[in-house]
Amino acid sequence: MTDLITENLYNQYLAFLLDGRRDKCAGIVQNLLNQSIDIKVLYTDLFQRSLYQVGELWELNRISVSREHMATAMTEGLLSLAYPRLFDKKKVTDQKNRVVVSCVARETHQVGGKMVADIFELLGWDSHFLGANTPVDHLLVHIQEETPDLLGLSLSIYFNFPVLKDSVEKIRNSFTNLDIFIGGQAFRYGGIDEISKWPHVQYIPSLSRLEEILETD
Amino acid sequence: MNPKASKENLEKLNIEQHEVNSSWNFTLRKGIMKTYLLETAGALQQPQASAVLAFSRKKDQLAAQGNQSMAERADLEKLIGKNNQQMAEDNNRNFARFMESVFTSYHPEVLVETVLWVFRTYRAHGFHATYWAANLNVWVEMLKKELQEDDYNSLYPFYNWLIIHIPICVKLTDQVPGKGSSDARHPD
Repeated sequence: MTDLITENLYNQYLAFLLDGRRDKCAGIVQNLLNQSIDIKVLYTDLFQRSLYQVGELWELNRISVSREHMATAMTEGLLSLAYPRLFDKKKVTDQKNRVVVSCVARETHQVGGKMVADIFELLGWDSHFLGANTPVDHLLVHIQEETPDLLGLSLSIYFNFPVLKDSVEKIRNSFTNLDIFIGGQAFRYGGIDEISKWPHVQYIPSLSRLEEILETD
Repeated sequence: MNPKASKENLEKLNIEQHEVNSSWNFTLRKGIMKTYLLETAGALQQPQASAVLAFSRKKDQLAAQGNQSMAERADLEKLIGKNNQQMAEDNNRNFARFMESVFTSYHPEVLVETVLWVFRTYRAHGFHATYWAANLNVWVEMLKKELQEDDYNSLYPFYNWLIIHIPICVKLTDQVPGKGSSDARHPD
């Protein structure tokens, strides 16, 4: 299935994304969906790859921050094109597990967390995605109300690490045995060993690894 | 460029051997410099808890105060480039939060890689190496004034490490051998 996203197609998509051509991007995504592309491949090889590259282009001062934000917003919209397929493909399981996925407080980057919530859905879970910048007190209330089997926390910027640490401590005080998955770009340079010291907490480096773990369990 | 590239391939690509050597030496030098940064950063000690707490409480106020000091400089544009004041102020607020993260749970590789990312990215946007020297000196002066002496002494080695390694960070974030944008080659 990965063959569907050729270098040529990827470059076309990226050019349209940077140019703000939602219609063209949507056409490419819909065409891939019509060819039954694997959802995870679509997310990683098209959406994730292009957003990482958009970020690099901003870093190199080749594009403005407004163009970067436009590309992110467009990608969030394009994710929804996959939803009919996502729910159509959703695994039917006897036991419905529930996951709550959220960005920690002060964390404004939410696309990664959204993709994670979608992958859970695809694999038969009921997922609640709470979005960006969720105050920990409200997260605690949501966990209390929904009693999830698993909590996913997303952190994109390393300087929010103290917020993550504080959140995990508060969650752990109230929900001693709740399993927590943590992921995000914040850990691309390290800090994973810190997470591994926390009980019932696991670092998830990628959507592929998430899929492997969920399919094994 | 692979330093063992064959003569035939180089001819095809119209690349001279000395360019390969230059590129290879550049890569090698960068590798050595980065190892040095990681080793020296590895020698820094996690600050004492009271210093981290004091810093956490004052960081936002200090970032605002530092931004004010920098904004009053007549040479600000020379330090940060044109139309970059908002970006510089955001960077300074983020820097305070990043240092809090570093002090909370210290990982040398995170410090080194993030600092290099900052140099690479902000230099690409027009910031000069002199900006970091100026801004870090402002931070050191503020911390000295605002913190207890033992708390200051616990945090200072991190700022000193950043200040003394600015030239290496500049070299490491130069893009092309001989065509780098280090400020030494572009004095104001």
